[in-house]
This record gives sequence, structure tokens and C-alpha cells, in this order.
Amino acid sequence: MGAWGFVSLAYGIVWGIILVYLVLLKRRYVNTAAELDALKSKEATRSDAKT
Amino acid sequence: MAQSSQTKKRKGILGALVLVAGAIGLFWSLVVAPPDAYQGNVQRIMYLHLPSILTAYLSYFLVFVGSALYLWKREKRDDLLAHSAAEIGVLFTALTIIEGSIWGRPTWGVWWTWDARLTLTAILLLIYVGYLMLRSLIEDENRAASAAAVLGIIGFLDIPLIHMSVYWWRTLHQPPSILRPDKVPWENVHPSMLTALAISFAGFLLLYFYLLSLRYRLGEMREEIKARRLERGT
Repeated sequence: MGAWGFVSLAYGIVWGIILVYLVLLKRRYVNTAAELDALKSKEATRSDAKT
Repeated sequence: MAQSSQTKKRKGILGALVLVAGAIGLFWSLVVAPPDAYQGNVQRIMYLHLPSILTAYLSYFLVFVGSALYLWKREKRDDLLAHSAAEIGVLFTALTIIEGSIWGRPTWGVWWTWDARLTLTAILLLIYVGYLMLRSLIEDENRAASAAAVLGIIGFLDIPLIHMSVYWWRTLHQPPSILRPDKVPWENVHPSMLTALAISFAGFLLLYFYLLSLRYRLGEMREEIKARRLERGT
């Protein structure tokens, strides 16, 4: 492999891993936010039913 | 979701800045900066390698600060900062080792060698992987946070060792070209190379703070879910 091959490999792997981490982090974020929203709306429904 | 539109806007701006800095950094590193006089084009890996490890060091510094504050004040937000920074620190340390390995093959002839600096960096990675594992292995949250905080503080001591390893031991890894006590950077490195490095580092820092803000907010939301469930007794 030539110099540019090693450079491409390094840049490709690094940005690829960062992209994968970002996607996974966003997915965890969105799922947790949805769970929190569902919990909040459930609590709101309960307190409405009590009053 | 409990996130103000202002926070969302700020995150959007930070995300856009990451993309712009990343694109300029990539262009400068691969096109504008000249090839190294000895190593040729393969030296361009440095524009990833140095910013990655400096970002990892910053991350572990935040783990150190968050851990020390948590042990002192016992506030959850400090532990959350340390935990978030440790996860992203592990990412950047792993990237540093991968980049170094790819750079090592054409310059040293090997993908890996048990050189002092490389070995100490691998130990750094293992310490913080251990930090993350420790948190998931201990069931009691407060105990897990305390044990992790102690490890987070001890682990940080590896960083000065990594920095000084090239002076203390005979190593294959080169001594610093830029952060040298006897020379200012522009006496030793071509200005265009320094610019590429600065832009690349700025891009990594912006990316780091973007990831950290996401990871921290994720931790906050998890804490809120736990607190609400505890309140409801579920």
C-alpha cells in the first residue's frame, strides 16, 4: 500500500468510527427522550384522572 | 421532551460548526499542507493523531475534575460529567491507537510494538474501559460512582507518564515536534502544517463538546426517568 493508501485508511476508519458512535449515541438519546416523554404523559393523565 | 428550543438551537449551531471545521480541516490537512520532508504524505495522519490524543487528554481531565468534585460534594451532576467524559475519552483513545498503528506500519515497519508510549497509551485505554465496566458491574449506584471516581482520578496519573515516556525511556515513538520546551512551534514546523493542525484540533474540540453535550443530556434524562419511577414506586 502506498502513502496515500495509509492516509485514506486512517481518515476513513476514524471518520467511520466517529459516525457510527454518533448514530448510536443519537439513537440512545432519541429512545431515552421518548421514554421520558411517555412517562411524563402517563403521569399527566393520572393526575388529570385524580382531579 | 424537556429541552428548550434555545438548547436545541445551540446544539444545531455547534453541529454545523463541527461540519464546517471538519471540512476545512480535511481540505487543509490533505491538500494545502505540504508533505513532510522525510516521511512524505503519510505524515498527514498526524493531523488526526495529535488532535485525537489531545482531545482524549482533555476528556480524562474532565473525568478527573468530575470525579474529584463528586467525591468531595457527592453531587450527581459531577458524576454524570465524569461518566460522559470517560465514554468519549475511550472513543478518542481508541482512535489514537488505530491512527498510530496505521502510521506505524509505513514508518516503523510494524502495526504495533511494545514501546513505552504505545504501551502506556494502551494502559490508559484499558483503565477507562475498566472505569466503564466497573460502573455497570456494581449494582449500588452510589458505590459504583465512588469506586469509578477513585479509578478516574488514579487513571489520570497515566497521562504525565505518557507525555514524559519519550524522555525517560529509549522509545521508537518520536519526541514532540510541537509541544517542545526548548523551541516555539513555528521554529520547528512549517506554518501551513501548524495551520492544518490548529484547524483539525479546533474541529476535534467542537466535535468533542457536541458529543459530550449529547451524552451528558442523555445521562440527565436517564436520571430523571429513574427518579420519576422511584417516586411512583415502579
